Amino acid sequence: MANEELMNELLKKHGINANSFENKEENVPEKTENCEKLLEIYYDLKNTVDMEYPYWFNRAWFENAGDVTIIRKAKAEAAALSHSTPTILPWEKLVMQKTRNVRGAFPFPWITASFFNAAAEALMNEVDAPVEAEADAVSIVGAGGGNVTKSYGNIISIAKKFGMRKEDVPVLVKASKSWDGCSVEDVSTKYGKDTPNYKLHKAMMDSVICMFDSYCIPQGREVMNYYLPLQYGWDGIVELCNKKILETMGEAGDDEVLGMSRGYYYEAMKIMAQGMSKWCQNYADRAKYLASIETDPKFKKNYEEIAVVMGNIAHKAPATFREALQMTLACHYAVVNEDPMSGMSIGRIGQVLQPYYEKDIEEGITSEEEVIELLELYRIKITCIECFASAGVTGGVLSGNTFNNLSLGGLTKDGLSAVTPLEYLIVEAGMRCKTTQPTLSVLYDERTPDTFLMKAASCTKLGMGYPAWMNNQQGMNYMLKNYASEGMNVEDARAWCLGGCLESSPGTFLPLNYNGKITWIPGGASPTCGSGVHFIAMPKVLELVLTNGYDNRLNKQILPKHDKKLDSIKAIEDQWLEYMHMIIDAANKVNNIQMDIWRRQMPPVMASMLKPDCFRDGISLSDGGCRYNASINFESCGTITFVNSLAALNKLVFVDKKYTLDQVVDAMLNNYGFKTAYETGVFSPDYREATQNASKYEEIFADAVNAPKYGNALWEADQFLKWYEDAMIPFIHSFKSYYAKPLYMCQISVSTHGPQGFITLADPAGRLAGTTYSDGSVSAAAGTDKNGIYAVFESATCYDHSDCQNSQLNLKIHPSALQGLQGTKKLLDVVSAYMRKGGFHVQFNVVDSNTLRDAQKKPDNYRDLMVRVAGFTQYWCEIGKPIQDEVIYRTEYEQA
Amino acid sequence: MTNEKQSRALIFDIQAFSVHDGPGCRTNVFFSGCPLRCKWCANPENFETKPHLMFSDKVCKWKNGCRACVKRCKKNGVVFDEISGPKINWKICSECTSFECTKYCAAHSLKVCGKYYSVDELMNVLIRDSSNWGLDGGVTFSGGEPLLQYDFLLQVLEKCKEKMIHTAVETSANIPSEKFWNLMQYINFAFVDVKNMDDEKHKLGTGVSNKQTLSNISMLKEKKWKGRLVLRYPVIANFNDSIENAQKIIKFMKQNNLFEINILKFHRLGQSKWEQLGQKYAYEIGGDVSLDYMNKLQELYLKNDIICYVADNTSF
Repeated sequence: MANEELMNELLKKHGINANSFENKEENVPEKTENCEKLLEIYYDLKNTVDMEYPYWFNRAWFENAGDVTIIRKAKAEAAALSHSTPTILPWEKLVMQKTRNVRGAFPFPWITASFFNAAAEALMNEVDAPVEAEADAVSIVGAGGGNVTKSYGNIISIAKKFGMRKEDVPVLVKASKSWDGCSVEDVSTKYGKDTPNYKLHKAMMDSVICMFDSYCIPQGREVMNYYLPLQYGWDGIVELCNKKILETMGEAGDDEVLGMSRGYYYEAMKIMAQGMSKWCQNYADRAKYLASIETDPKFKKNYEEIAVVMGNIAHKAPATFREALQMTLACHYAVVNEDPMSGMSIGRIGQVLQPYYEKDIEEGITSEEEVIELLELYRIKITCIECFASAGVTGGVLSGNTFNNLSLGGLTKDGLSAVTPLEYLIVEAGMRCKTTQPTLSVLYDERTPDTFLMKAASCTKLGMGYPAWMNNQQGMNYMLKNYASEGMNVEDARAWCLGGCLESSPGTFLPLNYNGKITWIPGGASPTCGSGVHFIAMPKVLELVLTNGYDNRLNKQILPKHDKKLDSIKAIEDQWLEYMHMIIDAANKVNNIQMDIWRRQMPPVMASMLKPDCFRDGISLSDGGCRYNASINFESCGTITFVNSLAALNKLVFVDKKYTLDQVVDAMLNNYGFKTAYETGVFSPDYREATQNASKYEEIFADAVNAPKYGNALWEADQFLKWYEDAMIPFIHSFKSYYAKPLYMCQISVSTHGPQGFITLADPAGRLAGTTYSDGSVSAAAGTDKNGIYAVFESATCYDHSDCQNSQLNLKIHPSALQGLQGTKKLLDVVSAYMRKGGFHVQFNVVDSNTLRDAQKKPDNYRDLMVRVAGFTQYWCEIGKPIQDEVIYRTEYEQA
Repeated sequence: MTNEKQSRALIFDIQAFSVHDGPGCRTNVFFSGCPLRCKWCANPENFETKPHLMFSDKVCKWKNGCRACVKRCKKNGVVFDEISGPKINWKICSECTSFECTKYCAAHSLKVCGKYYSVDELMNVLIRDSSNWGLDGGVTFSGGEPLLQYDFLLQVLEKCKEKMIHTAVETSANIPSEKFWNLMQYINFAFVDVKNMDDEKHKLGTGVSNKQTLSNISMLKEKKWKGRLVLRYPVIANFNDSIENAQKIIKFMKQNNLFEINILKFHRLGQSKWEQLGQKYAYEIGGDVSLDYMNKLQELYLKNDIICYVADNTSF
């Protein structure tokens, strides 16, 4: 250090700006002891499913048969929460969780029960591996960490990920039985069959061209709004409900359809608030009891504090930072327990809770370090949120992550930088306590202070994959375009942030009256910004264009023959759009029914309380009570794999005319003479093993591989991305959601580029059968970006990103390029460069590929290693091998 | 380079987001050709100013059954041995100009090194990249020896000045003084390599004398060059690692008002390239210097008020 100081002085003497010469990494302090302990416990825990919540839900639901649906649902939810056994670990300061198990989840038979009903006998016989849906069969779940992929001892493996104790199995079977024929799945399937192209949709699902059904995760990919309970507390909300009930019961107001519903709505909200209050009180009582029997004074004091906090928030509006944070956590858990869910985002909590933090610090009630500890513990709490769905959803799509995203930065209601002092501490906690959730997202704006950007970059640099970087202005522009018909204005546009991993969600600012002043706090103001059409395998659709609708993997005609002569690239594009139209139209109608049945039969209660303007107007989320409802999307998968295929076809067949289309198709069907990944079990894009046919295809394979590829700033390839976006944006707008609003493009692959790559044969660009697609929407296919990172930026921004909900760019940078303060600045230069070009999102893996290879061989040595997949961070050992291979093979920039 | 206005240059790589070759984020342009023949060189593929073949057996897929290259070469340059895989006959292949085999190598194990760029083509890349560099960054011309393709570089530098692009160079300054000065007037930042102060040793290690290099550096002082100059050398055991050599450098730096030096740690990252070119690498063993010793050298420079950066730990 002395040397660097000396050199700084010398530089200064020579008139060179010396302040920046600091090349040693700043030491990140260790996480606290409590945090360390709880993280150790987390690492040891297995994903656990139990039946406590479903049991109480079922009981109250059926006891209240005949009641108004939303009230009945509120009673069931309130009963389930208020009967949930409170578990408190001695090191915790923040408490509550989804179930009595720390890393727990439970099935939602009222949403989907067919799986359990079909497998009832098998389950009762304790046979594992019940029948799987196709998407489940091709989804490979990571075998390490907390996943229970096989049954053992008294534990039955469910959905290849969760363990359930044997004694719970009869409860599961019985609870599921009562939903046979009346779950959301069963009812919506019944009516889905009446849509004109149901058979086609079924074929798409069976061939995994469409990845999953909407009812699998009807909520999530949206942003929480914690305003109401923070402002009023549960007792206050009950009081408001009483007042509103008197005002609205029996009074139709101005709405002939929904006017009368308002009274029932407030009845339901009152029941829900009372349930929340009871649930919190149970934790207070439990903590009080634990304190009474605890002998260690440190733990005793801890329990006593918890008893006070939980006792207060069971009734009153929070009075301290800790109470406010605990309150948001309670709301969060209640919402994620409402439905199978992924991507229920926390939103801009560092702005929401700033007034509490500010007051506590001012009054000396707490210190910065204490707040950081709470925020560290908060990370563990959020990381423990599991989602119970099928293997296809939990493993294949989500890679076991539930995407509770936390956004930072952006602008305030009046257009100034929204960064708060608390947000620096949120980043700091993320640096000290490295967990997969909440993942962090920076809403990058030209007005965001450099000091905050540097802080965030110094966190990204540590290699956990967060924060990711989103373009605030592009996000706002998108809000203004997409929600224009619902009155979106600049103020509300400033309240946007990320729902799920990358689902831009609309919000609004509400006036929090706390500490003698009004703070306008941002929060979500829409239902799910997902749940439209889920992940269409676009390269597979192109394959079907070339094979006249015949799926050579399944040996089945799955799309109607088009019988067209594909004599130009335009003919291929047109036919592809035609097939896409068929697929999306069929899927959209079925999914609309699924979501509609869900909102009618199982209306979300907690979400209907929290989302503005439901409570103001007395209209539930189901009935369109949210301020913005044009939120339902179309999700694509394999954009760049598709773009590269078009570029290669164009070059090989139509420009150079070196091959006929038949020759290309023949090479594809024969996997260019290589063994398939299905045969070899290796999914890495660069692995190939020749068959005796190999020599026949050597030349065409080399030409396919060497054809122009996206990501090199070559118009020959990039023009097809431009064509794709220009064609798709209005095309997708032509489909309508169940809210009668246009769908829009969501371009994230999450982890579906693994399973959907799996079902896709070799493509014209030389990608071999079964290997993953390129991830995200603008990441170059692994190993094909030869002209460096700036060329990737150039290619990625050949269209306006603010026309879609998102775009996704994943980059891998070698840690040696980013050393020291200079390195942090250089990382920020990279981010700024992309943002200035209008790129919407970029995220980084700052990791050495050799480390990843070693971790693949010796997972036990790398329990805490995390990587960025496609919009989220996950433990290396908990992701499936195809995705691991893809991450390793991504191009690494500035390799040492 | 015979023609007066050299219209194109041979460039073997353009690296974006280069972070250790000058201030900020940069694009680094690697020129082919070098007048020196350093025995430890990490980029030996660029000794000559002509495109040539490279073969990397590490990424070759022959073990998985690929034989694509073998039948493509009409000159029998690539021969195949079922036990040890493809072998390159360098006598034939180093004279090759058609590189047929590379067109069929999907693994990019066989590739052509070096591509011709016109001034406009290179400027297009730089202008495209320029919006990514941030305020500190710019372009670095490296090699090989970038100053060797003098006419071309001069044209590029003029255009860079016009576009207000920050320019850096990594050079051994081993070109005639007049040309050196003409170029340096357009350069904002320079790394100049002085591999050894002892001329005899310099000749032994690099094949050329250091006189031109040293006099060119001195000329910069005389002509009051306005850029920032950082001396640089790789510290190689038993070649230039002596305290005596360092003391000579210090003296030289003082005489020339220089105050920054960057000492680099010897590495073998280029070893496989020598093999890929079918040549023997002189530093398979030996040459290593401990980090402790590097720090000791740093102390020595610092004691003499000279800022000494070790490896990547620089102030830019």
